Amino acid sequence: MQELSQTDNINKNIIAFWGYPQKALIKEYKLKYPNAKWVDLDIDFKYPDLKFVPDAYCTIIKNICNNAFHLKDKIIAILAPIGKDKCDSAYFISEILKKEGFNIVQSVFEDKCPDLSKIELPISKSNLPLKEKVEIITKNIYEQKDYSHLQEVKPSFGFWGVPPNDLDILNLFPNNTEVFGWIRAVEAGYPGDWEIETYVDENLPTVFFTQAFCSKTALAKYLANKYQGLYIDIDTIPTNSAKAKIEAFLKLR
Amino acid sequence: MKTYIDAGTTWTKILKVENNEKTYCVIPTKDLKTLNLKYNKCTGHSLPKDKNTYENEVVALANGAKKYLEDDFIALDLGSRDIKYVQYQNKKFKDMDWNASCASATGATIEMLLKFYNVDVKDLKFNPQKYSVTCGIFGLEKIMDDIAQGINPEIAISKFIHGIAFNAYNFAKNPSKICISGGFCENNCFIDSLKQYCDVIPLGRFVLVDGLMANDLM
Repeated sequence: MQELSQTDNINKNIIAFWGYPQKALIKEYKLKYPNAKWVDLDIDFKYPDLKFVPDAYCTIIKNICNNAFHLKDKIIAILAPIGKDKCDSAYFISEILKKEGFNIVQSVFEDKCPDLSKIELPISKSNLPLKEKVEIITKNIYEQKDYSHLQEVKPSFGFWGVPPNDLDILNLFPNNTEVFGWIRAVEAGYPGDWEIETYVDENLPTVFFTQAFCSKTALAKYLANKYQGLYIDIDTIPTNSAKAKIEAFLKLR
Repeated sequence: MKTYIDAGTTWTKILKVENNEKTYCVIPTKDLKTLNLKYNKCTGHSLPKDKNTYENEVVALANGAKKYLEDDFIALDLGSRDIKYVQYQNKKFKDMDWNASCASATGATIEMLLKFYNVDVKDLKFNPQKYSVTCGIFGLEKIMDDIAQGINPEIAISKFIHGIAFNAYNFAKNPSKICISGGFCENNCFIDSLKQYCDVIPLGRFVLVDGLMANDLM
């Protein structure tokens, strides 16, 4: 790995990342570049689509590519999870971006939680709007603020999955929707922990969401069948049909 | 008087209730805007989704077909441009799906075919053969091929409708009992085709407005 110094990066001010890089790596880059801006490449910043990957491909990976190329001149390094805590597509893209001249720092964060009874999930179990919960959890990957003051509420619904490309879909859910899946695993600090990712409250009506063309669709479908939840996959922005399905599920369950 | 409206893409179904007496009617949706109707509850693609008056179509379907759902029927609504179903188990919601993305194997396509070939729906009879209409556009191609080879349009369209019935059965995950809502209830060719695969009860075109009323009175 070629490491760039601060002086090489006079015009560069962004530490980019996707998924949840190892905590030690985040700490290292925060110390090394204390004034850098952290940018989550998973997010859709509405940059033009460069068609770098095929049309039928995960939108989150498309976001990573579009954002990376758009910000290329400002990116110091990309912290790039490639393990079970992210996905195979991220591994391929990290290698491709490396060939395209990016400073890629690969990360594998597959640690298992040693004691599931001790994980703390104040955000996932709070009464904050679901969209805000997901935004805070993903921002907290690098902000690392304390949210233990949030009050736990009795949930009426569950949302399982990853942060959707279009977070507005989360506005359909009531505030007392509990977060499950990868987002929950991220809040717990173990993004690659299978037990945390696959846990749901079987008594809670739950929407199992994935991005279309993501390998997690198999897991979402399996869990939705097992727990009689609603399976839904969405590509870029939700269709009226997808929104209506969620609305109906929330009303009928 | 209370008024409930299911404003579909092509047809609008209306229920008026006055002194416990129900009156149903159907009008073309294109005429709805000119009437300036006041209503208590509504559903369907063609009216604004006002939070005080609008009800989700699947919820309206579930409320309108509740009696049958609780008797383990799947409630399936096949409209002009979409298809949706609801399933209950032990008198509680279990499953649903809604495909509003492709209208090439739904009611509007059949209406266009009937007009194009000048065929009356009453002249269509069940045909044991069926076209694959997983993609309705490919199904249309087969109709054209068959007619070009001398087959009567009535027979070709019947095969297409059989394909739609088979598609609907698969969409609803192959249930043993289906109750049907929507204009296809008046299409005997469709109902007879669907009966090849499961028990069928046609409930008519007003299930959703009945569901709006039932929910309004809760």
